[in-house]
Amino acid sequence: MQVDIRNRPSFANLRVQFQPGDRIIAEAGAMATMSSNIEMKTRFNGGFFGGIARRFLGNESIFVNEFSASSPGELVLTQPFPGDMICTELKGNTLFLQPGAFIACEPGVRMSLGLAGLRSWIAGEGLFRLKLSGNGRLWFGAYGAIFDREITGEHIVDSGHLVAYEPTISINVAMAGGIFTSFFSGEGLVTRVRGQGKIYMQSRSFDGLAAWTNSHLM
Amino acid sequence: MAMPTSRESFQGGVFHASIPGGRSGATLSIARGELIADTIGEPSMRFSIPLNQCQIDLGGASGRMVFCRTKDGSLTIFCEERNFAKELDFQSGGALAAPLKQLKKGLAADANRFRFWLAISALACALLLFVGYFGVLWTAKTAIRALPVSVDEKIGSMAFSGMEMGRKLDANHPASRLVQEIVDKLKPHAAIPDLKFKVTVVEDADINAFALPGGQIVVFTGLIKEAKSAEQIAGVLAHEMSHATLRHGIERVSQSLGIVAAIQIMVGDVGGLVALGAQVAQTSILTSYSRASETEADLEGARMLNAAKIDPKAMADFFEMLKEKMGDLPDAMAWISTHPQHETRVQNIQNHEKKLPVIQYEPLLLDLKAAQDAL
Repeated sequence: MQVDIRNRPSFANLRVQFQPGDRIIAEAGAMATMSSNIEMKTRFNGGFFGGIARRFLGNESIFVNEFSASSPGELVLTQPFPGDMICTELKGNTLFLQPGAFIACEPGVRMSLGLAGLRSWIAGEGLFRLKLSGNGRLWFGAYGAIFDREITGEHIVDSGHLVAYEPTISINVAMAGGIFTSFFSGEGLVTRVRGQGKIYMQSRSFDGLAAWTNSHLM
Repeated sequence: MAMPTSRESFQGGVFHASIPGGRSGATLSIARGELIADTIGEPSMRFSIPLNQCQIDLGGASGRMVFCRTKDGSLTIFCEERNFAKELDFQSGGALAAPLKQLKKGLAADANRFRFWLAISALACALLLFVGYFGVLWTAKTAIRALPVSVDEKIGSMAFSGMEMGRKLDANHPASRLVQEIVDKLKPHAAIPDLKFKVTVVEDADINAFALPGGQIVVFTGLIKEAKSAEQIAGVLAHEMSHATLRHGIERVSQSLGIVAAIQIMVGDVGGLVALGAQVAQTSILTSYSRASETEADLEGARMLNAAKIDPKAMADFFEMLKEKMGDLPDAMAWISTHPQHETRVQNIQNHEKKLPVIQYEPLLLDLKAAQDAL
């Protein structure tokens, strides 16, 4: 199975070229176009209750689609907002994804929803996160460009910009500066990540878009 | 010396530059004084750190992940499994127990600090909401009291026109003239000199009288019939006029303010206040004052009577007369029933009267009999 990320970075989409026997699991609604010979099966995203929990708590779909082909074919997967996509391979390690970032993975990758904790929630990074572990390739997307960073020690990310991180990283909420700076710099609370591992960030945030749109509505 | 061998393996991971991508999941074991990591996937790679060279750390997303690093930091092996730390300590012969304990303490202290600030923030938010809510109400009440008396007059006349009452007596009726003359005599001594008092006599058997904000006063014929002297009517009128000059009506309006109305008033919507006041008036809240307001009106009324050279005793006499006449049937005397605890009031008026300037009271030269006969 060959997968290319095309039209990067603004309108990235995945082109999946199937060989007989290939399978890929994708977020419901991500399919834009596919060959007629590709078979699509819909199943609950981690069982019935798991799916419901993911929908309401993790802002992911109740369902995921499994695409398979018995003869060569092509499938295109997209995400609902403009931005880049990235591929990473899991080799027995784990990656946490922020709600809404997941696009597709190979069948060897396991998905589950985990509590990210109160700190993550206050930092504006969501109360829940998607946990992906196992073996196989994984694709996820972001609003704007994606950039990663290997952390050793501490790093600061503005809330809403964190897309994915490894479990070796701890997340803390912090003020951007003193009380005055935090209130008036427009940065407010920030996420302080600590540990060793990789974090993925997006160059735009939905909160930023919402605030910008709001300021033009009145 | 034979080192113990780990009885179990753990699932964890390893960071090293030689691994494609720099990291991999790994199966961990402890043997011969070394922590060994075999990476998952083909080809499997083996990494190891001697336990006595292990730089231990605690953290990760869960706060429970144990890291073991070489001194130069080039190799890190980590695991989140529950028994891993215990096994690591056991295999190292207890050498790692102290640093692990220290790290756990640090994390616990950090968690406590977080909880503390969380509680403080929640408390601050609650306090801000509380202060904001009552602050707005208080400011609106203060703003209402600072409004000109013309607002009282608007509310009063709106409420008056919206009230259902018996037939209003003509201004030339002897009873109307009598009441008007008493008001004219008391008016110069009112606390608000330019308040326009308007008095109306209404045909109704109830012994009742009430004041609306702005100086609208209504006296029922029942009260005039039962009065033993013009001074007693003067006492009731002085009391009611005091409600108007002390602005008790608008105080009631401000007390019944909701938060939305309070914000409206703060942004300067006086029209909204007038409408609200009239609405309140129609639910008759406007004429049933608090006990404190009644006492205040009694004392202010006594002061007015005294200043107008009318004996304030007449006001107390009127209460007593009504009480004796009606016994314990408060329903029969509407005026008294809305004015509770009259023994105390009689006492209060009498006490207050002693503090007033001593003057020669003059009897009212008014023909009460003629007014009563005309009814």
